[in-house]
Amino acid sequence: MKWLGSQIRKELWSPYSAGVLLGITGILVVFTGQKLGASGAFENVVGLLGKLAAPAAFNTMYFNYVMPAGISWGVILMVGAFFGGLIGAATSRSLWWGKKGAANSDAQWKAIFGPQVWKRWVIGFLGAILLEFAAGIAGGCTSGLAISGGMLLVPGAFLFIAGMFMSGIVTALVIYRSRY
Amino acid sequence: MNYVLALVFGSFFGFALNKAGLTQYHKIVNQFRFTDMAVLKFMMTALVVAMGGLYALRGLGLVTFPAVPPTYIVGNLVGGLLFGVGMALTGY
Repeated sequence: MKWLGSQIRKELWSPYSAGVLLGITGILVVFTGQKLGASGAFENVVGLLGKLAAPAAFNTMYFNYVMPAGISWGVILMVGAFFGGLIGAATSRSLWWGKKGAANSDAQWKAIFGPQVWKRWVIGFLGAILLEFAAGIAGGCTSGLAISGGMLLVPGAFLFIAGMFMSGIVTALVIYRSRY
Repeated sequence: MNYVLALVFGSFFGFALNKAGLTQYHKIVNQFRFTDMAVLKFMMTALVVAMGGLYALRGLGLVTFPAVPPTYIVGNLVGGLLFGVGMALTGY
């Protein structure tokens, strides 16, 4: 029990043990007939908001059938993921909520892009648009396609991982240049 | 009931990501620089555990797999290529 407590309070686990936890979660999710995905949830919510704001523009194939608008199972999953991350950070006392510098806290990010908070917001926002758009094209993100597809041996998942690493390495090369 | 399960599984998911350190920018980008292999270790462990477990359960007839997304080579690959750029920028 004491051992378990000290493990939970640890800030970083070995990626292997965290991976086992995610793997077991993945089994349980498939067992209930669902899918472990992140990016789809945002599309469901956007569809819901879009249908309220501009029903005609959002009355498309995509938001009616491919990614139905509404509070789906995945949206609740993401709410859970938010709290799970919160609990994870709180148990290891690494929760930065409301503290000074919390909006731009990653030392390596600051060294590369600068300490300004607005830069973090702008690059984060633009990068997230790219992520969500790409996930829409591919039919999933790291969790929805690569992990939950990969565990069912879906060929597309491995194509996606290959593509992700190819461009990720190139982008990191461009950003870091001589410091790569 | 289903939504309660979603909350519970979601919190496991978030907890695992947080404890692996993947909620931090430098963990993600250092994977692409190959100075920190946590992302691959985490992803591949999860894949191997889930694959082994799921295929064993299916062999025992305890689980039926959901409809899997069809392979769409151009989409999967182009999506992956764009996704990597965003990932290296934001540390998602």
